[in-house]
Amino acid sequence: MTKRLQLRRVLALAVFVCAAFVGLGYRLVDLQVLRHDELAKLAQDNTQREFRQAPRRGDILDVRGNLLATSVSVKTVCADPSLIGNQQAVVAHTLAPLLQMSEAGFYQKLFPRVSRDEKGETVTNNLHYVRLQKNVTDETWQKVQLAMSQLNFGVDEKKLPESGRAFFRNLRQSAIFADPDQMRVYPNGSLAGQVLGFSGVDEFKLDDWPVSQISGRDGIELALNSALGGVAGWRVTETDRQQHELVALRDEDVQPRDGLNAVLTIDAAVQHILETSLADAMQKHTPASITGIVMRPGTGEILAMATLPNYDPNKPDTISPDTRNRVITDVVEPGSTFKIVVVSGALNDGVVRLGDQFDCEEGHFTYAGRILHDHEPFGTLTTEGIITKSSNIGAAKIGIKLGEDKLYDYATDFGFGQRTGILLPGEVSGILHPVKDWTKVSVAQIPMGQGVAVTRLQMLMAMGALANDGWLMRPMLVSCLEDRAGNVVQKYEPQRVRQVVGDSADKEMIEALKTVVSPDGTAAGAAMKDYIVAGKTGTAQKVENGVYVHDKYVASFIGFFPADNPQLCISIVMDEPKEGYYGGQVCGPVFRDVAERCASYLNIPADSPAPLVANTGYPH
Amino acid sequence: MAGNRKNQSTAIRFGPALKALFLCMLFAGSAIGYVWQKNEIYRLSQQIRQSELRLRQMTDGNEKLRVKLADLRSPLMLDQRVRELNLGLAPAQPVQVWRLPEPPAMPPGSNLLARQLAARQAVAPLTQ
Repeated sequence: MTKRLQLRRVLALAVFVCAAFVGLGYRLVDLQVLRHDELAKLAQDNTQREFRQAPRRGDILDVRGNLLATSVSVKTVCADPSLIGNQQAVVAHTLAPLLQMSEAGFYQKLFPRVSRDEKGETVTNNLHYVRLQKNVTDETWQKVQLAMSQLNFGVDEKKLPESGRAFFRNLRQSAIFADPDQMRVYPNGSLAGQVLGFSGVDEFKLDDWPVSQISGRDGIELALNSALGGVAGWRVTETDRQQHELVALRDEDVQPRDGLNAVLTIDAAVQHILETSLADAMQKHTPASITGIVMRPGTGEILAMATLPNYDPNKPDTISPDTRNRVITDVVEPGSTFKIVVVSGALNDGVVRLGDQFDCEEGHFTYAGRILHDHEPFGTLTTEGIITKSSNIGAAKIGIKLGEDKLYDYATDFGFGQRTGILLPGEVSGILHPVKDWTKVSVAQIPMGQGVAVTRLQMLMAMGALANDGWLMRPMLVSCLEDRAGNVVQKYEPQRVRQVVGDSADKEMIEALKTVVSPDGTAAGAAMKDYIVAGKTGTAQKVENGVYVHDKYVASFIGFFPADNPQLCISIVMDEPKEGYYGGQVCGPVFRDVAERCASYLNIPADSPAPLVANTGYPH
Repeated sequence: MAGNRKNQSTAIRFGPALKALFLCMLFAGSAIGYVWQKNEIYRLSQQIRQSELRLRQMTDGNEKLRVKLADLRSPLMLDQRVRELNLGLAPAQPVQVWRLPEPPAMPPGSNLLARQLAARQAVAPLTQ
């Protein structure tokens, strides 16, 4: 009997133990299998931290390697409001002056912010993260850390219980922290500001964590944004209670790929020469705007490009539509500079020769019911003389002789009515109507630069084609992309677009253009002392409400030198100049100033070289 | 036989003792090795962290110096300094620039003296 009872007890115990093991087994399966993903994620979140490693944005350098734009490391100072308790006033009073913020604004930011999402539910995303100030230097951050470690809250913390002491300890150590960040810096200030463009900060959330990233907004910064930007890396690791990384427990570590450096064709010194000359002219003639471009005609490399008024990319608040890069964004009627298209086209087709004579009708020529005028009455002029004196009537007659279709073809071949393809955002194509939309007078008007709208860059490239044996080049602004070690990743080569005119026509045209800066020409003030210059003036009346106004002009001079071996092609354009308005009168001297300074800086051999000295071999 | 057993019971048995000692040392050594290894990992990870921090600081410092150098070398700054120092510097005029012709290329193997002579001969006619 006793034995049976014992057996039952043992059996009951065995059943109980088995049931317990089954229960435990079920729990094990539940934890390890059924809820594996959920619990694994929880465990991982408790221990692992994932950091985004921001790439360094590439530099922008000039052709000689001078720094035009770079990125420097700064801090974004943040706060964890949940650790500040009711000590906002003390923290704000101490840190606001260091971070150059208003104490009241700073104070408000330190409160945990509870907001509602689109569903109306309360969210407390900002409970642990409030951004206080961006672009804080390391020196300032060190002062902030020191100030926080020495904060005095007016209580005797030794008498507080452990929880109270821990609160103040956490407040000092962890309530204010800094995220690494970058700031874009342009060491030369406004130099080439419109070419470089400017950058802004894109903010987005990655895994519910705010991320900020520099991105281009205009100019080269925008055009090469992806190349400059680089690719972010990441690190999966574990941290201690002070959020210090435990390197031994680092799991994944993918380094960011830094952005590439962009080496421009811009030469900072030439840019400076151009900008200072333009600034002087701006002061003298007070135009609404003034633009200048310096280019190597043989390659299409832009050495300098400037528009005044300009802006400093370091101060984005100074940027306005008035400071846009008018060289590529604005179109104007070119005026007489466009005569190079019709005359070179006519010379190329053999329609006219340089010595052919045209009756310029003493300044009044009626064609298709319209009277065309010259700026002064001319009798008979040769083709060369038409360029020298810039006769509208002469150019119109050459245009008529060339014909509508040919005129349109040459204008198109010189690149008008289409973008040049420069690596800058915002370029417009200008206006060149197809022949079917022309009026009867168009064939006479277009040769003198009316009825067509061009950008300053298009006009420069057309003149550059004449300086380059008739070959139109694509403007080059970027020389190469290189990595941080200086290895060239991508090289940009000069690109020929097409040959617009042949060699002989080109040489004849250059001979005609040389006379423009002669004492008889329209731009005697553009002549250089030691170089032979070829160029063309332009003075275009502005159109307002569909009619030409008589007191607003766009004056221009585009030229190149040395005329027989062109090294530089320079364009100067003034919008609504005062104290004179003829292109040769106001822009010619600016051209000469820029050209002479550039020639000296670039050591361009003069057309009349100095002799070498005997015996010593050294110059006196 | 009995005498032998009696002797054996009182004698020290070195074999098992050595084995036990060896096992103890093995376990103790493993434990110490494990702790030492962990300690080294911690020390090296601290060292890596410090080195990374230092590298970052130096890189940042280098960047700042680069910016400062760029600032000092900017044409605007140079222009300003030239004016401040009133050195009377001006760009050289083209007529002030003297150009010497490049000496003709000599065949490989020719000595330095021959090259210098060729260079002089190349310059001489132009000086007359």
